[in-house]
Amino acid sequence: MSLFQYAHLIDIMARMNLRADATRFFLGYIWWVLEPLLWVGVFYFVFVTIMASREADFLMFLATGKLVFVWFSKSVTTASSSILGGKGLLGKIDLPKTLFPMAVVQEGIYKQVAVFVTLGIILLINGYAVTATWWYLVPLLIVNYVVIVACAFVGACLVCLARDFLQLISLGMIFLMFTSGIFWDVRSLDPEKAKLVLDYNPIAFLIDAYRQIMMHATAPDMLHLSIIGAAFGALLCAMVLLMRHRSQYLALRALTA
Amino acid sequence: MSATKPVILELTDVSLSFQVKAKSFDRGRHHVLQDVSMQLYDGETLGMVGRNGVGKTTLLRVLAGILAPTKGRVTMARGKSASLLTLGLGFKPDLTGRDNAFLSAMLQGSSREQALSFLDDIKDFSELGDSFDEPVKNYSSGMRSRLAFTTALMTHVDVLLIDEILSVGDAHFRGKALAAMEARITGKQTVVFVSHMADQVEKLCDRVIWLDNGNIVANGDAKEVTSAYAESVAQRRKDNIEA
Repeated sequence: MSLFQYAHLIDIMARMNLRADATRFFLGYIWWVLEPLLWVGVFYFVFVTIMASREADFLMFLATGKLVFVWFSKSVTTASSSILGGKGLLGKIDLPKTLFPMAVVQEGIYKQVAVFVTLGIILLINGYAVTATWWYLVPLLIVNYVVIVACAFVGACLVCLARDFLQLISLGMIFLMFTSGIFWDVRSLDPEKAKLVLDYNPIAFLIDAYRQIMMHATAPDMLHLSIIGAAFGALLCAMVLLMRHRSQYLALRALTA
Repeated sequence: MSATKPVILELTDVSLSFQVKAKSFDRGRHHVLQDVSMQLYDGETLGMVGRNGVGKTTLLRVLAGILAPTKGRVTMARGKSASLLTLGLGFKPDLTGRDNAFLSAMLQGSSREQALSFLDDIKDFSELGDSFDEPVKNYSSGMRSRLAFTTALMTHVDVLLIDEILSVGDAHFRGKALAAMEARITGKQTVVFVSHMADQVEKLCDRVIWLDNGNIVANGDAKEVTSAYAESVAQRRKDNIEA
């Protein structure tokens, strides 16, 4: 399969998944925007209305963190069961196993475009201006994408080996949700702890970088971003090689799971 | 006859086993294929018969390169491709027949343009009419089978591995499907054809292998092997009744 055909197939599979998904619900494509907004609404209700958090611009802070995190968590969680879920096809055709998680990640990208546009509109309505600093979103989005794809490949292989990993991945996502500074500001910690969180939790760094760019017109630490990009890029390449080399083994595991 | 043709695909002492949870097999190891050796010649139609669960589908998957043997060697002639045609899974029930056919064609290696060009032929041959643009979840099992067979028919590969796909739809469509498959088989296409119907295998194939418990128990002339297989089935049925 040529790279062009592979890319085309990912795109078609993602679009078909979206279309199938939309036909299942009465509100169809509206859910793309509604779901993340409801997430933010729930947390706003809990943190602002009930717990009376007084932090300035809390809704913006929360929306940025939560919407970026949902992109990561939903893509990785769904992609993790994608090879196993594709066993009907795997038993018929010898397909590259990366195709399944890639189609899920691509589907997530199409949805995330709608989410980012919504987020941008919320920011503009609330008086934030689009500045030249927003150009930093380009490398940030690329690194974010690489992180998602690498984690999606790892998750998909692990779940192929044992379905039990799905439980651990769900638990891991809850752990990350609470430790990545979605509801709280990493920068409000004492400097040592903040450094610890940002150094060892790439998701916390990425979420903080989005906030720095969009809310504070400040460039992120590009060296740190590059290191994350390089590390996850290396992981991604290793996973591609592994999944290509062990393609038939993964098929056997999926077919006999 | 076959011996004069070049070998397109060869299995040498191929075994395939995998670990299962249940301890009912060999200490949790299920042996599906055991020391299978066979050759497939360019342009021939090889039949495969055997009871359910003896490893026919697994052998086809090894031939298609979907599964790797645990032991032994699979050698495919350079630059040749094989694809398995089977009914059943693979459709997305929320999508229309058209979308599913398009996706299937692309997954089987067609370009976007080729896949689009197949759609009208698929609609005509499958006789789905306006239902072609309805979600597959509203189809009867016969309609699903017709769509699956017609989509599978569009595949163009060097070695076609056919798993029980001629038992589809009603008598009218089955006759049409058989004729279409015969036209394909009598051409230059190399085919491995699996079916429970011994008469179908005898009619379509040059040579037949009989698989039992993961081993090839007979390999040779279509008429001789299918007769021996039919006798064995009859004997087993008789033994079961007497028991």
